[in-house]
Amino acid sequence: MRPNAAETVIQSLIVALLSLMCLSVLYPFLYMLAISLNEGADAAKGGVYLLPRAFTLLNYEIVLGNEVIRHAYLITIARTAAGTVSGLFVTLLVAFGLSYRGLPLRGVILSYILITMLFNGGLVPYYIQLNNLGLLNTFWVYILPGMFSVWNMFVMLKFIQGIPEALIESAEMDGAGPVRVLLQIIIPLSKPMLAALGLFTAVGHWNDWFTGAFFVTDQSLIPVQTFLQQLLAASDISAVLGSNTNQEALARSSQMQNITLMSIKMAVVMVSALPILCVYPFLQKYFVKGVLVGSVKG
Amino acid sequence: MYAKAYKYRWQYLMILPGVVLLFLFHYVPMAGIQVAFRDFQIGSSIWSSPWVGMDNFAFLGEEQFWTVVRNTLYISVLKFFFGFPAPILLALMINEVTHSAFRRFVQSVSYLPHFFSWIVVAYILQAFLTLDGGLVNQAVTAAGAEPIFFLGSTEWFRPVVIASGLWKETGWNTILYLAAITTIDPQLYEAAKVEGAGKLAQIRHITLPGIMPTISIVLILSIPSLITVGMDQIYPLMNSANMEVADVLDTYVLRSGLQQGYFGMATAVGLLSSVISLVLVVTTNQLSRRMNGEGLW
Repeated sequence: MRPNAAETVIQSLIVALLSLMCLSVLYPFLYMLAISLNEGADAAKGGVYLLPRAFTLLNYEIVLGNEVIRHAYLITIARTAAGTVSGLFVTLLVAFGLSYRGLPLRGVILSYILITMLFNGGLVPYYIQLNNLGLLNTFWVYILPGMFSVWNMFVMLKFIQGIPEALIESAEMDGAGPVRVLLQIIIPLSKPMLAALGLFTAVGHWNDWFTGAFFVTDQSLIPVQTFLQQLLAASDISAVLGSNTNQEALARSSQMQNITLMSIKMAVVMVSALPILCVYPFLQKYFVKGVLVGSVKG
Repeated sequence: MYAKAYKYRWQYLMILPGVVLLFLFHYVPMAGIQVAFRDFQIGSSIWSSPWVGMDNFAFLGEEQFWTVVRNTLYISVLKFFFGFPAPILLALMINEVTHSAFRRFVQSVSYLPHFFSWIVVAYILQAFLTLDGGLVNQAVTAAGAEPIFFLGSTEWFRPVVIASGLWKETGWNTILYLAAITTIDPQLYEAAKVEGAGKLAQIRHITLPGIMPTISIVLILSIPSLITVGMDQIYPLMNSANMEVADVLDTYVLRSGLQQGYFGMATAVGLLSSVISLVLVVTTNQLSRRMNGEGLW
């Protein structure tokens, strides 16, 4: 069948629209990259759209030479690693425990968990509780409250229940206890699921700015995203330069006038976004699977 | 009974951390709701603070509170109005792409913004919309118009919020629809082609009905969120110039509670919105039972 004219028009219209959408997603990052690699004063004149015009690494030297930013980075990496590993561990354990249908009080425990998805005390009582537990202004405030994710647990539970029971029964027949079943059957079979949930948890930790902004006042405990949030409204450059240890870069005072707040900001945001941009292509296959397993069918 | 419970001791041990964590971070804060009816100061004990009856609900008589409610509804309804159909449209378009490499590329790119924080999105907006040298304003001035202070104006706040929301989440939200489309029997399309149905007719009579169950579930699931407009997105974009339209329930609680120390009043506002969202969730579940034959729980 030959495609008629109207369909060719629709087809090319769709390709055009989709290309435009891709452009709208990718271009901002290219633009910010170009600005961050350009001399600030020069970029402020306008006209830098795609490639840096007056190329320099100075913005990055300043950003990476900043003690506060480097420290914030360490906090982000530490909490992402610790939060993801511990979160997956607890969530998997609970899901596995609850996957035993014969478990006495199983229904009660499930309702106990479900209720927390329907109703919550709100921000202020939560804050008061963090305060009472002495978690405010500690590293643990990043880890403990998020260690058990009810949503992820239900996704995991559904996945484990999909594993053929005969597999588990035959292992039990051979004398394997629940711990052994978990380690040798469940975990190996759940790898793609664990990868997907781990990815979502890790991204959540990496991107969280709220905890650092409102539950932590100690500047040495804030993660990168909270630093970015504080810098967002900054009106002068001292917010970034205040604690710079990279004296060498600063000493080149002739270049200092080339720096603008905007170019520094773009360098900081690129530094926070680059890790995600780098790992993204490798992780794609996991997250689509993860969303679908965890989705509404069932 | 005890023997049976003992048999499952390992399972209980595995569940225990989850139960304890929920108790500490969900149930104790639920009990903390009594702060809404007490005169509580930070540092004192919740249980020994004096009761004040409904005093903390005095905000119900304040004009500012109702402005915040209006702002919340305004933004959430607009977000729903544009945000609900957008991924369906995008999924339909992606589905029409026959070139598989291009299709994969489009999908990968459209999911990408979901993985960046709202803070990064706020930076992107700043880079493009700022008064001095922002790309959009360069275009505006090049066209001979006055530059627009997008991020600091009451008229532009809502469009910026809606557009950035679409930009960030539309692609991600297509995943479910695209998955639903792949489950449609290809023979239906073949039959339609034989009978001379064009592309648009195929979409209307096969694809759309095919993904209708998914559409209705997503629709139902989005009802409870109508009362909450994520703090995550609003807070970074809020400033003193756009406050009048930007202040929503979440940010109102945040400011009055954590920043200004009106714990009782902020808890009362929080309680009110928790109750409303509970009602919405329960109603939604009933709705889903009636429409899909099964509820969400």
